[in-house]
Amino acid sequence: MTTLSDPRQARAFRFIRREFADGVATLVYAFDDGPELIERVTFPGATPIAAGRRVALDAALDLLHLIAGISYYKSGVPGEIRIESTPLDASTASFLDTLYLHGLGEFAYHNKLDLRERIRFPATTVARVPAAFLGLPQHTLVPIGGGKDSLVSVEILKASGAQATAVWVGHSPLIESCAARTGLSTLNIGRELSPILFEYNRAGAWNGHIPVTAINSAILVVAAILYGHDAIAFSNERSASSATLEYDGQQINHQWSKGWAFERAFGELIASRVAADLHYYSLLRPLSELAVAQRFARVSAYDGLFSSCNRNFRILGPKPADRWCGQCPKCHFVFLALAPFMPKPRLLAIFGRNLLDDEALAPGFDALIEYRDHKPFECVGEGVESRAAFAALAARAEWREDALVARFREHIAPQLDPATLALEPLLAPAGEHRIPPRLVPFVFDAHR
Amino acid sequence: MNVSNRTGAEPAPWVVIKFGGTSVSTRPRWENIARIAAAHRAQGRKVLIVVSALSGITDLLKRIAESGPDEPAARAAQAEIVRRHEAMRVDLQTDSRAALDRWLGELEHLIICPRRSTRALDWQAEVFALGELMSSTLGAAFLSSQGLPTQWLDAREHLTAQPLANQSAWSRTLSATVPAAPDAGFERALAARGDAFITQGFIARDPEGKTVLLGRGGSDTSAGYFGAMLRAQCVEIWTDVPGMFSANPRLVPGARLLAQLDYQEAQEIATTGAKVLHPRSLGPLRRAGVPLVIKDTNRPQLAGTLIRAVASDAAPCVKAISARKGVTLISMETVGMWQQVGFLADVFAAFKHHGLSVDLIGSAETNVTVSLDPSENLVNSDVLSALAADLAKVCRVKVIAPCAAITLVGRGMRSLLHRLSGVLAEFGALDVHLISQSSNNLNLTFVVDESLADDLIPRLHALLIRADALRAEDGAIFGPSWRELEAAGAPPPRAVWWRERRTALLELAAQASPRYVYDLATVREMARALRALGCVDRWHYALKANAHPAILRTLHEEGFAFECVSLAEVQALRTILPGLAPERILFTPNFAPRDEYAAALEAGVRVTFDALHPLRHWGDLLRDRDIHLRVDLGVGRGHHDKVKTGGATSKFGVSLDEVEEFRALARHAGARIVGLHAHLGSGILDAGHWRSVYAQLASLAEGFTHIESIDVGGGLGVPARPDEQPLDLAALGRVLDEVKQAYPQFALWMEPGRFLVAEAGVLLARVTQTKRKGQVHYVGIDAGMNSLLRPALYDAWHEIVNLDRLDEAPAQMVQVVGPICESGDVLGSNRRLPECREGDVILIAQAGAYGATMASRYNLREPATEAIL
Repeated sequence: MTTLSDPRQARAFRFIRREFADGVATLVYAFDDGPELIERVTFPGATPIAAGRRVALDAALDLLHLIAGISYYKSGVPGEIRIESTPLDASTASFLDTLYLHGLGEFAYHNKLDLRERIRFPATTVARVPAAFLGLPQHTLVPIGGGKDSLVSVEILKASGAQATAVWVGHSPLIESCAARTGLSTLNIGRELSPILFEYNRAGAWNGHIPVTAINSAILVVAAILYGHDAIAFSNERSASSATLEYDGQQINHQWSKGWAFERAFGELIASRVAADLHYYSLLRPLSELAVAQRFARVSAYDGLFSSCNRNFRILGPKPADRWCGQCPKCHFVFLALAPFMPKPRLLAIFGRNLLDDEALAPGFDALIEYRDHKPFECVGEGVESRAAFAALAARAEWREDALVARFREHIAPQLDPATLALEPLLAPAGEHRIPPRLVPFVFDAHR
Repeated sequence: MNVSNRTGAEPAPWVVIKFGGTSVSTRPRWENIARIAAAHRAQGRKVLIVVSALSGITDLLKRIAESGPDEPAARAAQAEIVRRHEAMRVDLQTDSRAALDRWLGELEHLIICPRRSTRALDWQAEVFALGELMSSTLGAAFLSSQGLPTQWLDAREHLTAQPLANQSAWSRTLSATVPAAPDAGFERALAARGDAFITQGFIARDPEGKTVLLGRGGSDTSAGYFGAMLRAQCVEIWTDVPGMFSANPRLVPGARLLAQLDYQEAQEIATTGAKVLHPRSLGPLRRAGVPLVIKDTNRPQLAGTLIRAVASDAAPCVKAISARKGVTLISMETVGMWQQVGFLADVFAAFKHHGLSVDLIGSAETNVTVSLDPSENLVNSDVLSALAADLAKVCRVKVIAPCAAITLVGRGMRSLLHRLSGVLAEFGALDVHLISQSSNNLNLTFVVDESLADDLIPRLHALLIRADALRAEDGAIFGPSWRELEAAGAPPPRAVWWRERRTALLELAAQASPRYVYDLATVREMARALRALGCVDRWHYALKANAHPAILRTLHEEGFAFECVSLAEVQALRTILPGLAPERILFTPNFAPRDEYAAALEAGVRVTFDALHPLRHWGDLLRDRDIHLRVDLGVGRGHHDKVKTGGATSKFGVSLDEVEEFRALARHAGARIVGLHAHLGSGILDAGHWRSVYAQLASLAEGFTHIESIDVGGGLGVPARPDEQPLDLAALGRVLDEVKQAYPQFALWMEPGRFLVAEAGVLLARVTQTKRKGQVHYVGIDAGMNSLLRPALYDAWHEIVNLDRLDEAPAQMVQVVGPICESGDVLGSNRRLPECREGDVILIAQAGAYGATMASRYNLREPATEAIL
C-alpha cells in the first residue's frame, strides 16, 4: 500500500468525470492531485438506452455523480469543491449545498466540524434545460431495505394493483429474502465504493454518517430512466422529518435525506432536470411510525424475515438474534411500536425475546420516550409515539406486568398528561406528501 | 419390523401407508409409493394410502385463505397452484385432467366467493382441503396406470368430526377431532370394494356435512384414524428421516435412532418436540392396539422406529430429550391463593372459556404458573390478550415468553433422578421458570428462555449419556446415531503421529520422566491447514497454549503473528523472536495493571482493552494511540463453564451496552479504535459459531469510524473423545467467506492456540504403583495435576494409552491418577488399559496445549520437562 496523503490536508475536492457503459456507471473523484477515487454502480441486464431517453440518462448520471461524491468529500471536507465533469446551474448547486450541509449534519456534529463555511458548489451561468416528457411506462420502483417500512409500501402498492418492482442496492441476503417474499419482480443494483476510501479511513480521514438515502435515490433515478419506470416510491414516514437535536444553532436530523425537505426538493429537481414524468415520492410520508407499525402488523408473511435492527445484519441466520440485536434503539423502538398491534406471542417470536421485560434495557427505552435523555441518533419514532405505545401496553393485561411496562405505569405515566398519551390520534394520516392521487385512498383509509 | 403375513381363512389384513408433501411431489417419489404399495399387495395385504398435498401447496392455499381484499395475491397463488398441478399431471403422464379440473374449478369458485373477504372459517377449510384432494386425485390415476388399480376415496365420507365441549369455532373447523375406533362395518364395506385405495390426509367432515380440517400434522392423524377404524395390521408413516431420535439431530448429531418405543413414550416425545410424527395420530392406534412404524422413504432398508404396546420390563431409561419452543407461560399471582376456595377453578375457567389448553402446571402458595403450547391461534389472534384481561380480574397476570420447554422422556423417570445430578447442575446455572414432573412418570420438564435451548440440548444429551441415564449402548432401544447414518462411507480418522513415533518416544521417556514431547511437523501441518483458509487476513497464535521456543519459531516461519496476555509473554516472545515487528504482537490482557499496558503501548505492540477503567483512569497513556476493543457479545460458548469467556458472569470484554461509553472515553482520550475483538470460549466444534460472531462484530463495526480489523478470536475445537467429529475447516472457510463478502472493508483476524498445538504434544509418564480398592482399580503415574491440570480444572478428556503395551488388549477399567495430594488428581477415569506394571510408559495424548504452560510446583513436585521430537 502506497502512503496516501491525509485528505484532511487537501485544498480541493474534485468531481473529475463520470462514465456509463455496459450497465456500469463509473463515478470518479479526487482530493487535489491524489489518486482517483472510483465508485462503480452496476445496473444488471440494462439494455442500450432508447435515443429519446439519452438526455435524461445523462442528467440522471450527472446528478448521481454529484450526490454520490458526498461519501468521499466527507473524508477531507476541504474548503473548495471543484466540478470538472459538467457545468452546474444555480438551482442544482443550491440543492447540493443544502444536501451536503444537512446530510452531513450528524457527521459534522460528531466530528465537531462547522461545514457552513466550507460547502459551496460552484454554479455557472449555464442555462437550465427543462426536462422532457419521456412517456415512461406506468411502473413503480419500490426500494426495500429489509425493514418494516418498505414492506408496508410493497403491500400498499400490491393492494392498489400497481405494477411495481422491489429494488435494493448492494449485496444483502436479508433484503433478498424479503424481496423474494414480496412476490414482486426484483432488481438488485450493485454498488462498489472506491477501496481507497477505506485506506483513507485507516489513515485517519474524517468518517461518519452520510445521507445514504440521497445516494440511493439518485441511483434509482438512473435505474428508472434505464429500465423505464415512471415512479420511485420510498417509504419514509412523517417522523423522519423531525430534527434529532439542535447544535450550535443548527437543526440536526439523523435521517435528513429521509425527510420531507429532501423529498420535495429532490422530487422537484428530478421532474425539472431529468424527466417531467418521473415522480419521486414517499408513500408513507403522511403516516406516523405507529401507523406504519399498525399496517405492518396486518401481514405476517415477513415475520421471520424482516429486520429493522440498526446493527444492519447483512448475514442471514436462522435465529431471531441473527436479525435483531435487541440492544440498539431501532430494535427497542420497533418492538415497542409493534407491540400494541400484534398478539404478544407473535411479536416475541419475531424478536426471540421480550425486550420490555428486561430491566437492563430501561435506559434505551427511556431515550425513546425522552425521559431523562434526548432522542438518540437513530431512525426512530417521536417521543410522543413511544409514550403512547407504552401507555397502550400499560392498559393491556398481557403486557402490564412486564418490567419496563410496569415501570412506566408506576413511575413515568403519573408525571405525564394523560391527554397526550392517546394512541388513536397518532394513527391518523396527516401532513404534506407527494403521493399520486390514485394511491392516496390506499394510504389514507386505514382499513384498506 | 415384524409384520407377519396372516394366512388361512382370515380376511386379508389392512395396512395404512402415509406419505407427506415431499413424497408426493415428483414422479420418482410416486414410483416409490407404487413400489411400496405393490410390495404390500404382494404380501396379501390390502392397502390404504393417505397423502398430503404436494409440498408448498398448503402455503399457497394459505395465501389465498388470508388474502382478504387482496385479490391479486390470491390470483398469483392460484396461478402457481394450477401450474404446479398441471406440471405434475404431465410428469405423471396420467389422464386425470377432468378429475383435476374439477378441483381447480372449485378453487376458482372459492376465490370469487364473497366469503373470501371475511375469511370465513368454513370457507378456509374448503380452500385448504383442495391440496389433498388434488394430490390424491393425481395419485389414484398414476397408481392405476402403473398396474396397481387404486380407487380414490373421499376421506370426508368416512371421517366425521365431533365437536368437543368448549372447542373454539376456529378449532372446531380448522383443528377438528374424529372419534375414530375400530369399525368392522366400514372395514367390510371397504374390503368389498377393492384391495387398494388412496385418500386424503388432513380433511374430514363435521356432523352437518361441512368440510373441516384436522389441524397441523393432520395427515398423520388421518392415517391414525383410518388405521384404527380398519384395525390395520400396521400403520406406516413414510417420511424423509429414519425415525424418531433421542434428540433433534440438527442440534445433536450424536442423537441415536430410537428403535422401539411404547405408545406413551412416543406420544410424549412427539408432543414435546419431535416433528416427525403428529402426536394426535397415536391415541386411536393405542386404543385399537395397532402398531405404527416410521420409515425413511430414501432408506427403506432401515428398520425405522416401531411404536407399539411394549410390556417390556426393561430398566428405566431416558429415551429422548426434546425442546419445544414458542411456549408461553402465564404466571398468576394472588395474595391469598392458599385456601382460597375456587381460585384455581376461576383461573382455569378463563382458559376454558378462551379455548386454550394448558400443558404444564406449577403452583406455589401465592402463584400458579401454567404453560401454553405454541399454536397459530395464539400467534394470529388476540386470544391471549382477552385471556389476560379476564385473568387480571382475579389475580396479577404476567405473560412470560418466548420460552422453551426442555423435556426428558422415558418410562420410570423418577427412579432415574439420582443419575441426573450433572443435568440438574446445568440447569442450575440458568433461570428456570418452571419445573414439572408428570404424574405418569414419563417425563421431566424444565421451562427456560427460548434463546437458551439450542445450546443446551447438545450439552444435556452428552451429560445424559455420560451419566448412563440414556443407555445409548442398549441395542434393543437405540439404533445408530444420526452422524453414523449420515457419514456411512466417510474417510477414517487420521492416523496419530505418536503411534508411528513410538520407538523415539520410548527413548525420550527413558531419559526423563514425566516429560512433554512436541512434534513440530504436526504443528506445521495444523498451521498450514489454517493458512489455507484464504479469507483470514492475519492468524495470531495464542501464546498461552504453549510458549515453547521451538513452537514459537515454527509458527513464526509459518507466517503467524502472536497473541499475548501478559507483559511477560510479550517479553519472552520478543526475546525468542527478536526480529518480530511489534505490531505483529497483539496484547490482550484482562485486569492487568497499568504498567503492563504502558510498556506494551510504548513498545509499539497492538493493545486490546476490555474494560472502561483503563480509558477512564489512564487516558494519558492513550493519546494518539490505535487501540483494539474486546466486546462481550453476551453469550459464552465452550466445553466447560471455566472456558466460557462470554456472558455477564464472565470477567472478559466490554458489554454491548457499554460500547458507546467506551467509544466516548476513547474519543475523549484521543485514541482511535481500530479493531473489534470477541472471543467467546474454547473447544468449539461448530463452524456456525464463528459466522455468528463475525457477522455480529462486523455489523457492530459498521457503526465505528476507524475499524480496520475484526478479530473473531480462537476457540477452534479439537475433538477429544472418540465420538466427537473434528471441526470442519472447509465449512469454517465457507461461513467466513460469506461474511467477508458482505463486509469486505474489514480485515479478518483469528487467534487460535490449542488448535495448533494440542495434537502435537503428548505427556509421557511412568507407572509408579497400582492399587485396587473395592471394585475400583487405580494406576498411579509420576505425572499429576501439577503437570497437566486440564482434567482437574475442566473435566477435560485426554486419550490415555500404555505406550509399552500399545498392542495388548485392554484389561480392566482403571482410574489413572497422579501423585499429588488432592482427590481431584485424576488424569483419566474409567479407562480400559492393558494390565499396567510399575515402570510402564503411559502416554497422555493431546497434551500440547495448556499442559506445560499451566504446570506448577504444587506439593513442591517438579512438573514434567519439555522436549522436541
